[in-house]
Amino acid sequence: MDRVSAVRVAIRGITLWLDMSPTSRLLLLRVVFALVATATSFSTVRSQTLWGVTRSTDGTSLPGVNVFIPGLQRGAVSDSDGRYEISHLEPGTYRVQFSFVGFRTQIREVTVGEADVKVDARLEEDPIWTDEVLVETKKTDALTLDSRSVSVLESRRLDEVRGQTLGETLEHLPGLATLQTGPSISKPIVRGLHSQRVLVLNAGVAQEGQQWGGEHAPEIDPFAPVRIEVVKGVAGVEYGAGAIGGVIRLEPLELPDDPSRPFSGTFAGNAFSNNYQGAASLYLQHASSRLPGVSWRVQGSLRRAGDARAPDYAITNSAFEEQNAAVTLGYRKAGLDLMGHVSHFGTELGIFSGAHIGNRDDLLRAIERGEPLVTPDFSFDIDAPKQRISHELATLRGTYSFDSGAKLTTQYGFQYNHRQEFDAHRPYNDSLAALNRPAFELTLASHSIESTFHHRPVGNLLGVVGISGMAQTNRNGRTGFLIPNFRAFTGGIFARETWLRNEVQLDVGTRLDYRWVRAWPRENGASGDFVRRVNSYVNVSGVVGGLWHFSDSWSIGGNLGSSWRPPSVNELYNYGVHHGTAQFEIGDPDLSSERSTGIDATLRHSGTSTRLEASVYATYFDGFIYLFPDPEPRVTIRGTFPTFFYAQSDARLTGFDASAEVDLSRLFTTGVVVSVVRGDNLETNEPLVQMPADRLRLVGHVNIPSFGIARDPHFEAEWVLTARQTRYPANADYADPPAGYRLLNLSIAADLQAGNTPIHLHASVQNALNVTYRDYLSRFRYFVDDPGRSFVLRMSVPIGAS
Amino acid sequence: MTNIDNYRTLVLAFVVAIGLVFASGCDSEDPGDDAGESELITRVTLTLTPSGGGTALTAVASDPDGDGANLTIDNLTLAAGTTYNGTIQLLDGINNEDITAEVEQESDAHQFWYTAEGGIASRVSVAITDTDENSLPVGLEFTVTVSAGAAATGTLNVVLSHYDNVVKNGTTRSDESDIDIDFPVTIAP
Repeated sequence: MDRVSAVRVAIRGITLWLDMSPTSRLLLLRVVFALVATATSFSTVRSQTLWGVTRSTDGTSLPGVNVFIPGLQRGAVSDSDGRYEISHLEPGTYRVQFSFVGFRTQIREVTVGEADVKVDARLEEDPIWTDEVLVETKKTDALTLDSRSVSVLESRRLDEVRGQTLGETLEHLPGLATLQTGPSISKPIVRGLHSQRVLVLNAGVAQEGQQWGGEHAPEIDPFAPVRIEVVKGVAGVEYGAGAIGGVIRLEPLELPDDPSRPFSGTFAGNAFSNNYQGAASLYLQHASSRLPGVSWRVQGSLRRAGDARAPDYAITNSAFEEQNAAVTLGYRKAGLDLMGHVSHFGTELGIFSGAHIGNRDDLLRAIERGEPLVTPDFSFDIDAPKQRISHELATLRGTYSFDSGAKLTTQYGFQYNHRQEFDAHRPYNDSLAALNRPAFELTLASHSIESTFHHRPVGNLLGVVGISGMAQTNRNGRTGFLIPNFRAFTGGIFARETWLRNEVQLDVGTRLDYRWVRAWPRENGASGDFVRRVNSYVNVSGVVGGLWHFSDSWSIGGNLGSSWRPPSVNELYNYGVHHGTAQFEIGDPDLSSERSTGIDATLRHSGTSTRLEASVYATYFDGFIYLFPDPEPRVTIRGTFPTFFYAQSDARLTGFDASAEVDLSRLFTTGVVVSVVRGDNLETNEPLVQMPADRLRLVGHVNIPSFGIARDPHFEAEWVLTARQTRYPANADYADPPAGYRLLNLSIAADLQAGNTPIHLHASVQNALNVTYRDYLSRFRYFVDDPGRSFVLRMSVPIGAS
Repeated sequence: MTNIDNYRTLVLAFVVAIGLVFASGCDSEDPGDDAGESELITRVTLTLTPSGGGTALTAVASDPDGDGANLTIDNLTLAAGTTYNGTIQLLDGINNEDITAEVEQESDAHQFWYTAEGGIASRVSVAITDTDENSLPVGLEFTVTVSAGAAATGTLNVVLSHYDNVVKNGTTRSDESDIDIDFPVTIAP
């Protein structure tokens, strides 16, 4: 804790008290007394209504203003006369937030006593407005967000990292890292866990792709207009079996609801010098005036990049291209809110060809050589080995808010994931080769449905119960042994209650999940008939948490949760060689579920000039599924392959992550982000493999006074220090972890006021010193350096912002 | 619509959607016919014919499943002081394809490497006799020269390098080995 700011807070408290008039003091004492009395009394308290009228500064009533109490996660929208009403409020002090597009967000502190309370709000127009929730709301939101550790990437910050993969977008957050497979594939790691242990929730639907491989990145449009929230740690109660390490939630921004406003949207484009990446995205949205209550948004984006370049050479065949599109349709009437969302993600990406190797001796020779065998010139060509992936998502969500404050939400989602992997080896047979078929093709179709019911507040209790189900079919197009055909059904029920009183929040939740899987692996791994194997799993998850908002600017939250994950199909039946790492991997059909039990604590502070979020955690795994190296390598006609079995062991992950910011003056802000994680196998007493190395990020931010047409210009320097991973198991890897490295990133940004349209420009240079390095979590670190310096230019232009 | 109607509609939608989810789960999911089709070399045959005439020797490395589970490699017994003319044949037994002809067709993207190791390293030398269109060695045909002397044992390592992105230069192995086998060798005095 920052001692200076604590002293400051204390002094402010005392001066406020001294400055108060005797009557106010008396009133405050009474309020405190009343709060204590209510807190200790068992008698039922009559609930009150908060109501009022929202107006603009000239006095005209403002309809459509969002009135929200973040602490209760409840709100209302003002009607055509500007009138709003939030009923069933317990006595207490609440922060109420009034927000409306084009106006400055207002936060009011409201004390609800024995009678209904009327609060009128006058909203000031905001000369430059964005469609997003404005910055001021962050403060209260941040402190009362969750009893767990949650990081939120608001759209402003998101805009400054646009155009990169989801993994790269998130790696700046405390506790997050990325697992890279060359420059074109990256997947997020949350506190040391990734793939099936981290759930990606896209528009409310759990993303169902081929998540089992390290080289399978989540199929997410990096330009989608969303808010990103990362829940770190065990989150199985709301999100189901599998969310054992964390959840990444991408929630589409609210659709516009004011038909009197014209079309709005954003055009964004960016360019990267390192791989000549060009990307553009456009979205348009509108609330229909002809069809009251109907609103829509269309969005599309394109990305294309050539080979990335390490400081000394081009990384051959790391080019990629991507096309994405989405349509969102909304309908609102009285308490009913319907949303339909359809999206397409399509990509074709090259995989660094030097990583495609034959056997162990080939790999050892490549490591020994230290650099790729060939490094041809830069190119935009995408050759085999490559992946072609498409992901379609269609979802329909209906929410009905009852007058009592209860809310029923039902969401159906359909996903179709199609993955083709093209081997560097084409068939010898010409007629087969001419077909240009993938070596590996999988289609995964998933239907999911979830219904949740937020019951009306009962006393101080807010809660939700839910039921969910999923049906899934995986079909194998070509090779039969790496992952078999399978069909799975999952079902779950859960309940979670939150008890809120003033500054204290307590959560308790539980969930029951069932999973049934029927797979068709070959009888003897690679040969024999396809045989039917059926497994089913049933288990419970639970969570107990608390949050204490103990001062105006401080809160502390803690959580104890336990969750489980059934073994995935690859862990059960995988049988074959993973090219790129020359590992022979063998699944175990008898694996049982793994269970994680975690405890964590998060301290949050949001002061006038200081901000802090610091978490410590410890997670124990019972039956952690991992690849155990077999001392006997596998000898085949193709050569020798180190062999790994899927095995289970008790394991422990502990760590610390924090971010802190201090405004040194109005112009200078400094910040620091720390991520430390320790993974241990408790049975072999060795560290777990592939744990992120310690990382420290230092940021200096300078606000430059506006000049000419440049508004809010700012400069940022970021120094990212990644240590060498010194904790790794013996005999499970071919090369020791690479050395630590330091990267300097610089950026400058401003809004240029061209006429009525503020154009946001962001220019940066990544790896400014052109450092040669290899990251431990890069799966190609055996073969090739990570990319060198890149100059990046980003631009976004709001549409219809006049 | 009243609230109750709205509520009913939602419940109805939920029931219909649940029906859809489970209705989609009815067909059986045997793997398609096209599963398991990737090409794999499952059988390598060395044929060595004494240059002075006599019975040809053959040695077979066979891995019918391609996964090493049932890998068998024949022993080669060479006569001291003899030179053999050798050929190599490759077979994909799963798809029943002769790979030899295809390597020959793509000879500019392939090269065999024969290395005598262990106790026979100084006694056995292998020279490739065929060349591709760029006059670089291929290795489908070769000679094996065994020097005269006492009995010895060792291995003959046979590697087929595949040059996909890397240009074949005749002297460097690629990082993509299609085969890599050690044939046990005994020299009979």
